[in-house]
Amino acid sequence: MKKLKITSIVFMLALLSLPCALSAAPQGTLRVALSAMPNAIDLPMSSERNAHNVSWQIYDPLVWTNESGKSVPALAESWTVSDDGTAYTFKLRKDVVFHNGEPFNADAVVFSWKRGTGTKMQWKDKWTMAESVEKIDEYTVKISTKGPNPLMLRMLSEYWAMVPPKYHAEVGENGFQKHPVGTGPFVFKKWKKGDRIIFEANPKYWQTGLPKVKTLIFRPIPESATRVAAIKTGEIDIVTRLSAEEAASLKGASNVRLITYHADRVYYIAFNNMTSGKGKPTENPLVRQAMNYAVDVDAIIKALLNGHGKPIAGFITSENWGFDKNNKPFGYDPEKAKKLLAEAGFPNGFEIDFAAPIGAYTNFEQVCEAIQGYLEAVGIKANLDLMESGKYWNMESKKELPPLFGDSWSEATGESLPRLKGALGGKKASYSAWSDPKIDALLEKIGTTIDDDARAKLYVEIQAYMKENPPFIYLYQPATFEAANPKVKNYKPRAAENYYLKGTSIE
Amino acid sequence: MQRYILSRLIQSFIMLVGVLFIVFFMLQLTGDPVALMVSRSASPEQIEELREELGFNRPVLVQFADFVGNAVKGDFGMSLRHNQPAMELILERMPATVELASIALLFAMVIGIPLGLLGGANPGSIWDMLARGAGLIGQTIPNFWLALILIMIFAVNLGWFPSFGRETYQFMGLALPTKSVILPAFALGLFTMGQLVRFTRSAVLEIKNEDFVRTAYSKGLADRRVYIKHILRNAAIPLISILGVQFGYLLSGSIYIETIFSWPGLGNLLAESIGNRDFALVQAIAFFTSLVVVSLNLTADIAYGMADPRIRYGE
Repeated sequence: MKKLKITSIVFMLALLSLPCALSAAPQGTLRVALSAMPNAIDLPMSSERNAHNVSWQIYDPLVWTNESGKSVPALAESWTVSDDGTAYTFKLRKDVVFHNGEPFNADAVVFSWKRGTGTKMQWKDKWTMAESVEKIDEYTVKISTKGPNPLMLRMLSEYWAMVPPKYHAEVGENGFQKHPVGTGPFVFKKWKKGDRIIFEANPKYWQTGLPKVKTLIFRPIPESATRVAAIKTGEIDIVTRLSAEEAASLKGASNVRLITYHADRVYYIAFNNMTSGKGKPTENPLVRQAMNYAVDVDAIIKALLNGHGKPIAGFITSENWGFDKNNKPFGYDPEKAKKLLAEAGFPNGFEIDFAAPIGAYTNFEQVCEAIQGYLEAVGIKANLDLMESGKYWNMESKKELPPLFGDSWSEATGESLPRLKGALGGKKASYSAWSDPKIDALLEKIGTTIDDDARAKLYVEIQAYMKENPPFIYLYQPATFEAANPKVKNYKPRAAENYYLKGTSIE
Repeated sequence: MQRYILSRLIQSFIMLVGVLFIVFFMLQLTGDPVALMVSRSASPEQIEELREELGFNRPVLVQFADFVGNAVKGDFGMSLRHNQPAMELILERMPATVELASIALLFAMVIGIPLGLLGGANPGSIWDMLARGAGLIGQTIPNFWLALILIMIFAVNLGWFPSFGRETYQFMGLALPTKSVILPAFALGLFTMGQLVRFTRSAVLEIKNEDFVRTAYSKGLADRRVYIKHILRNAAIPLISILGVQFGYLLSGSIYIETIFSWPGLGNLLAESIGNRDFALVQAIAFFTSLVVVSLNLTADIAYGMADPRIRYGE
């Protein structure tokens, strides 16, 4: 009788836990289209956004940045920062294993950092920002930096994926590239180059109840018109990077949900004061202000981006920390532009060389042609040279472009400091053609101020300075279009066009 | 015959060396690709370090000598973007391209040759109008435009075919084609189909008026027999060479089609590697494709020479 009672209790308990177990089990297949085939499923080697997004599904960082931009625990349970802001001590989770069964511990963190700093690693600079990574004990590591770095935690969450040292030693670098292993919500299954990448749910994932889908498949579809067709036919569940026209064509389609947001990307026309721009009228801040007033950004957005974009007032977007709401775009005022040019000593305008890349960004050639027209209207003859983008960026990295050149810069960390440093860092930055000691000093201060509020004030200060002394003609922040099947739930891309799919489910 | 083959072999070799030379130096004209490989916020020192590591800071002629020396051994270096031997990447993608080009050629032959024969045999008839129409359409419709239209009609509206990608059916270790190849093969093969229709039609029209055909008729042979035994056989000789050239074109000319249909072949890989200025990979694909085209032409030339003695003796 007693045996029967125990059996019944066990049976009842099993029955009660069944719905819970069923609801927690990953279900279904989620198919995501990529606009380019990843070059690697490995963070330090991944060359662009598609590769990053695929990679992060199988790895975890020490900390995550949540949707409101706050750093929250991931593989590190907690952390402390030294008073001088140069040493971070992380307490690691003890219940985490890599997909191959290898335990995650301090050795893995030290190894991941050493590997990330290798010469061939494309994102080496994101790892060399740490001067040393020391193992304190099995589950404690100390990361030291040369100076205080307010973006340290954001960088860790964006770039530092943890990899297993023993597995890497066994299979070597090539073996790891062919079959990558992490601690993430999905496990690598298969990579048919140029065709598909298949991940399966990690049954031992340390975050209970995640991931939600059993199989995750990435398919590269470089042609955006084909991505539109694939979401319409239901062959794909999520498509990204659609043009405004393609997004418009999907409006009203029964099996498609459109997703629109402003990407953390700015478009601009840069001035050069380091090489080709030396001795040119654009060295005068009044001339640069005039050129900002001369361009009707709203009209460009309306005519060339179908209205999908917003004019920017600087290099810090409304999504970025320290954005100054009172900093408004210049606005279109050709009369003021002419007045400023006269005041600067160029009442009849001047002639200047101007370059832009071909095929790099949506309609950017036409945008630059429109700018050429607007400048001409106030007397500035800009000789536009449209160049093949590879050659263009090569010249840009060597500061060989003309005094006026167009480009765009995205930011993944939620703060504009890397973008500001990259585009305005002078000799220290490959893609910068601008050098200004005041900006250098402000960037140095921002880069060493750990206190968020104090840093925000410095951002406000630099925005005001960059309005008075614009190193760019500020253009716009474009809208990004994606589409998903309505069966897809909880898919939330962020402003940097990145996403985690562990919480995404499919009905 | 041996002399003929030898001279063709030497010509092919010179052509391949020319391809290596042109591809290498044309890519060099666009500068070195290192700046594109690192993050935009990388310092000039980091770019220089990587440039040195990859050997792009050496004199161009040294780089070329190194490249040719390795290429002769079949080593085209590592893909800069994929960090994998370029040849390995090519061999991974080759089956998909061969499948697409073969089905496209098959489609072009099955439609193009009979239609050309019918048109040529009955000038002015409905068959001839059809043949001329097909030839014109095949040669004038841009295949990238046709590809998008095909996707819209047959994948999105009718749902008969997948809109992208390659699916295969595994049978005894072989990856057999499925219906996913039909739309891309049709879009790719249409131009060749047009070529074949026009070529076959004009060949038949020409041969029909030859003396030996008149003789065959005067012997009292039936129409059918004259066509099969005399006209077709003679038209087949130049067709062999055209087919060789066309297969080469189909293998190398599928960049747009493979990109639009997201077909995981060489064309798709080439488009991607050009965009990323993956020098080693672009060089390897260009050389490999040239090798295939030159080999096919060589085979066609030899076959042509064997079939027609006037050619091998340079008459």
